[in-house]
Formats: sequence, C-alpha cells, structure tokens
Amino acid sequence: MHKKMAFSFPDEVLEHVFSFIQSDKDRNSVSMVCKSWYEIERYCRRKVFVGNCYAVSPRMVIRRFPEFRSIELKGKPHFADFNLVPDGWGGYVFPWIAEMAGALPWLEEIKLKRMVVTDESLELIAKSFKNFKVLVLSSCEGFSTDGLAAIAATCKNLKELDLRDCEGDDLGWHWLSYFPDTYTSLVSLNISCLGSDEVSFSALERLVGRCTNLRTLRLNRAVPLDKIANILRHAPQLVEFGTGSYTADLRPDIYSDLAGAFSSCKELKSLSGFWDVVPAYLPAIYPVCSKLTSLNLSYATLQSSDLIKLVSHCPNLQRLLVLDYIEDSGLEALASICNDLQELRVFPSDPFGVEPNVSLTEQGLVAVSSGCPKLQSVLYFCRQMSNEALVTIAKNRPNFTRFRLCIIEPTTADYLTLEPLDVGFGAIVQYCKDLQRLSLSGLLTDRVFEYIGTYAKKLEMLSIAFAGDGDLGLHHVLSGCESLRKLEIRDCPFGDKALLANAEKLETMRSLWMSSCAVSFGACKLLGQKMPRLNVEVIDERGPPDSRPESCPVDKLYIYRTLVGPRFDMPPFVWTMEDDPSLQQLSRANLM
Amino acid sequence: MPDMELQLGLALPTPNIMKGFDLNNHGLHHLKQTGCFSDKSKRSFDQAFGNFKQDRKTKTLLLWSGQPNEEEDHKDQKKTTFSAIDDNDEEEVEQVVGWPPIKTWRKKIFKQPNGAGGIENNRVADKEKSRSIYVKVKMEGVAITRKVDISLYLSYQTLTNSLIAMFSKDKKCGDDDYTRYILTYQDKEGDWLIAGDIPWQSFTRSVQRLKIIRNRD
Repeated sequence: MHKKMAFSFPDEVLEHVFSFIQSDKDRNSVSMVCKSWYEIERYCRRKVFVGNCYAVSPRMVIRRFPEFRSIELKGKPHFADFNLVPDGWGGYVFPWIAEMAGALPWLEEIKLKRMVVTDESLELIAKSFKNFKVLVLSSCEGFSTDGLAAIAATCKNLKELDLRDCEGDDLGWHWLSYFPDTYTSLVSLNISCLGSDEVSFSALERLVGRCTNLRTLRLNRAVPLDKIANILRHAPQLVEFGTGSYTADLRPDIYSDLAGAFSSCKELKSLSGFWDVVPAYLPAIYPVCSKLTSLNLSYATLQSSDLIKLVSHCPNLQRLLVLDYIEDSGLEALASICNDLQELRVFPSDPFGVEPNVSLTEQGLVAVSSGCPKLQSVLYFCRQMSNEALVTIAKNRPNFTRFRLCIIEPTTADYLTLEPLDVGFGAIVQYCKDLQRLSLSGLLTDRVFEYIGTYAKKLEMLSIAFAGDGDLGLHHVLSGCESLRKLEIRDCPFGDKALLANAEKLETMRSLWMSSCAVSFGACKLLGQKMPRLNVEVIDERGPPDSRPESCPVDKLYIYRTLVGPRFDMPPFVWTMEDDPSLQQLSRANLM
Repeated sequence: MPDMELQLGLALPTPNIMKGFDLNNHGLHHLKQTGCFSDKSKRSFDQAFGNFKQDRKTKTLLLWSGQPNEEEDHKDQKKTTFSAIDDNDEEEVEQVVGWPPIKTWRKKIFKQPNGAGGIENNRVADKEKSRSIYVKVKMEGVAITRKVDISLYLSYQTLTNSLIAMFSKDKKCGDDDYTRYILTYQDKEGDWLIAGDIPWQSFTRSVQRLKIIRNRD
C-alpha cells in the first residue's frame, strides 16, 4: 500500500462541497484547514457576518470575500437599546454601502442591526444593486419614508423589507405607492415600527393583492381593525401576520367580517400587533389559533382571564411574548396547555411603578419551567425572586440556552431569606450547561461571579447591572468564562485591577461595555497603549477625560477588538485611547 | 490605599486559560484614589436607583425650570423653558437611565397611571377607551420629528419630563451646556404659543403640534 497518495479534488468539487456549509463558524474553520482551502472558500463565501462594524473595514471584507451576496452588520453596543449610548456615537452604514456599491453590483441582501441608516444610504442601495432582494433593519435609525420610497421605486426584485424596532421619521404612507404596479415579488413586509396616521389603505391593499408570494405582513398601529379583513382576504396565504390597532366599536358586521377573513388564512403560524386590543374581538382569531406557533401579545393590554382564554386555544405555541398581565395564574395555565413552548418573554406593564400592579411573581416562571420541557429561552421581568425558586427552575430546565431575568428594583434580595441571589443564579449556570446568554439582576455579590466563572463555560453573552463587590467579581468572569464574547456591565464597583489583569482576554471577545463603574482614565490609557488590537473608547459627555485627574473613573467605556485601529467618525464625546506611538507606525503599515 | 504593585490575590483555583498578561505589572503608575468615587464600591440603593417619577433633584442634560403650577398665578410664569445643566458636580445623585432595561418604544405603549391617586386594588382597572392624541414634536436643530400621545400625560411636568428624555439624546454637541429651550405649541387657530399659560386640560384639547425652540434672549 502506498503511504503517500496524491489526493486532491479539483477546486470546483471543493466549492460544491463548501456550498453546503452555511454557518460562519464552519466556514471559518474550513478556511483554516490549508492555504488552498482558504483561497477556494473565500471566493465562494456568499454570506458575510460582521458582528462589529468597527472591527474591520469594508475594503478588507470585500478584498477577502470578493463574491459575497449577503452581508449582516452590527453597529452600536446592545445597551444602546436602553439609551445608554449617547446619540451620535456612531454605527453609520453609509461607508459600507459606498464601498460595496462599486465592488459588488450583485449584492442581494443587507441586514443591519443598531446602525444609523440615512435616506442617502437607502438611495444608494436602491441605485447600486440591480438584483437587490432583502433589506432587514433591526433597531436602526436615521432614515425616513423618503428613503423607503427609493427602495420601493427601484428594487424590482425586492423580496423582503423588514423594519423591526426602528426609529425613523414617518412622513406618510405615500412611499408605499412607489412600488410600481408591475411589482409583485414581495414576500415579507414588516412596517410595524412606522408611526404615521395618514394611511393609504388602497395602496396597501393593492400591493398586498398583487404580491401573491407574500408570506409575512406586519402592519403598524395606524391600520385600524376594520381594514384587516380586506387585507387578509387579499392575502389568505399569509404565514405571519401583525395586526394594527386591534380596536373598533363593537359591531357584529365588523366582527363576522374579521372572523371570516381569519378563517380563510389556512397557513397562519404567527400573529403579532394587537395594539389597543378590545377583548371582544379576540375570538375572531380562534380559527387560526390551533396552528399558531408564535404569538406576540407584548403590546396587548389584556387581562389575565382573556389571556388564559386565548392561550388555551393555542396548544402548539412555541414562542410567546406577553405582558405581565398574564400573572402567575396565566403562566400556570400556559404551562399546562403549551407543552411545545420554547421561548417565553414576559414584559412589565408598569416598569416604573414602585408597587406591583399585577400578581406576577417567581411562581409563574417556576410553573413554566416545570411544565414546558422544551423551554430554552426566557426573558422575565418581575418584582420578587428567591434562591429557592431559581434552584428549582435550574433543576427543572437544564436545557436553558438563554436566561434573562430582570428583577425590576435593582439590588433586590431573596424575598424569603433576604440573602443575595448568588446561589440561585449559581444553580442556573451549574445546571444549564449549554447556557449561552445570561442577564443577572437582584442583590448579587462577588460570589455569583465565582459560580459563573466556574460553571458557565459555554456562556457567550453576559449582562450585569448593580451587582458585585469589587474587582474580584469581574476577574472571575474574565478568567473563567472561556466562551465569552460579549460582556456588558453597568453600575458595578469594578475597577482597574480585573480589567488590566485580563487584558489579553479582551482580544478573544467581541466587546466589553462598562458604564458607571470604577475604571479610571489612567487604566483606560494604559490598556489602549498596550493593546493595539483593541479600541478602547471612553465615552464621556462631561467633557474630555484628561480635564480630570487620571484616577477619576470614566463615565462609559467600550472596548472592542479590531483590525483597523481607531475609527475616524467619532463624535466629540468619544475618545479612543491611542496605541503606543512607536507601535502605531507599525500597525498602520501592516493594514494595507 | 490598595497597592497596585501586588498580584491580584486570588483565593480560588480558577484555571487561568490566558497566559498571564497582567497590565497591573507593566509600568503602571500608582493610581491614587481621590475623593471622586471613594464610596463607589458600595453604592447605596437610593443612589443607584432614583425613581425619576418622583421629584428629585437630579442632573440631566435638559432641565425643566419654571414649571407652571395649576394653583399659581400664571401671569408670573410666562416662560416655561428647558435649560441644560453643566454636570460636573460628582456629588449629585445620578439619574438612572435605561433601567429597567426595556426598549424605548415599549415604554410608549401604555397609559401610565400616575403614581399617587392610583388604582384601588393591585389589579389593573379596566381601561376606559380614551382617545389617543398624537401630536408631532419638532425640536429646533434636530432632523427627526417625533410624536407624543398627549393623552398619556396628566400635566405639563409629565409631558416635559418625557420630552426631555426623548430629546436629550438629540442635543447637538455644538450647543453649549447652557442652551435654553422653550416649548411652544400650535393651537386650533393655527397660532404658535408658549406652552404653560393655560390649564393642562385646555391645552390637551387645543394643541395641534409642539415645537421646542432655542431661547434667543
């Protein structure tokens, strides 16, 4: 038997094999096998994911992957969702569009999260990519319906326009009529975030009517209930539907119209919307409830009894978003009816009230963790918690992958024992071995971080607020959590020591956010100097950090790894700690 | 004073996967703790969580001053203004922004019952259908027009608190910290007036649009 076999596939064969490999992680692994695989893979990568738009430059991405058709970009840190990142921080997509416009005329998909998207950017997209198909803007801002009009008018092959949680200037619905009469390829339209009251229903109905492949339609609050029936009749093939304002005077003709329209939708699997909901109109959706797998009632101010009634019609639910009006009793009902439930989010109806306004406690979460064997993802806002409950939950549900608990008042202790909740969260990380995402709350000492560092080996994202005693806590996390990619911290007494002691760890992560902590300006400077592959951004609206003593803590700190050094689009209240000047020459030379 | 030259003393045998690159030992100058944040390690509950519905003296970028009070003589309070405060005083209680962690647009969904006054039992009272009154709000110098539902508010103060929160992130960096703003509104007759002169209820029935303009005085 020959020991050496000349053994190589032609490139096309490898390319064909690689085409079955879709995930970025796998693609990245493939590219590291050997030089020739690297070369083949880079030419046939069709989807690019950039988790931090400042980690790399558009030119570098295009140079490495000259033939991609789809790009996903993320901009601002997650805490921007809660107004912790001042406006103007950054995350502008325009430079990316500008670079791609020339180099990638066949680009089909752009998916953006937490980026600033101007009308100019949208117009450039419309103009530059002849086969543009998919635009998903998630938590983006900076555009108006004028930009959308450009997309509508020009992108003849557009399939998906999804604006989720965006903040834009809504100048009216006329932009919808910019879709030409010949345009029929829409598959997914999500405009639930738009606010305009001036609605052109006829434009909407015509659009929906001629796009026979429409599968997803999420309307906004401005669309009244009595218009839904017509729209649904034009699109009985819908799989996902979001209502507008679900309210009208109680009239039998409207009701039967609506019920009839829903009954004709045999494919509906997902419902959302339900702003201003009038309970009397809920039974209109009962005909479709048995097939529903996803239900978003997080805008619906329904009482517990109405929610229970509704949920009891939906035994196949996999995903439920709801307000805490559901209460413990509703969650117990949910636990007994919806055995396929995988994801649950319970939002607070009165987040700023000091006293509870609903009877929702830790018991609801315990019930669901017990009754729903497939539950893996939870977001739960409540006002009381106990270690006992958390331990029970952890033992019930070791298959949790995402566990986000928000006890509304910061530093709330275990209400039974008045102890910190360290042991409870410790149980979560100990039992849930595949936990990828965790958000902590309540009264917590460094001990919880000891548990996390010891057990949470698969944890990728951790959110911490008002917790810990000192640097040791942060050190446990940074030194113990092997899979950590994103760490966001606010109002914790973490200072310089842990950060500096784990400087190298930061290069293995996407980003670290620390606000209202105790990291000094001096430490930031040191970190910036010594770690050239990190951008250490100090965000401080009080003024330049060097106008204060070096030992003064910075207001906000955002550290992320990058191949391209400090960015050039920073506003006046952001400073990047410069690299060592002597190193700086070297790193710039290596960039090109 | 903690001696920064020491290794971070750990009692636990946590396996440190990363090679010890400890910047604490790399020519670190002795960082002195000043009085800046001497008690930061144990932030008191009150400091950490200021319920901004209550009337606290918190520092914000834009501050409502000269609030109209229904009982007072309105003739004395012609101007209702925003004023920006220079936030260099570290002793002040910090306003808790972004807590609880709910996306901004979720907060706008409900009518918030006013804290006092309140609801009898802990159950939410059945909502009476009260019409939303959306008006556009434009702030001078800011490109994006926003909208508020006036029916959600019970007084000029709650309205302006909300507007402050909404627009404080739009405050242009060019403005100095002492730029003052005036809240104006367009009434049913199309006239632009300064907000605060008439009782709140009359205002809600009359207001068509809002505009926040810089005080040029």
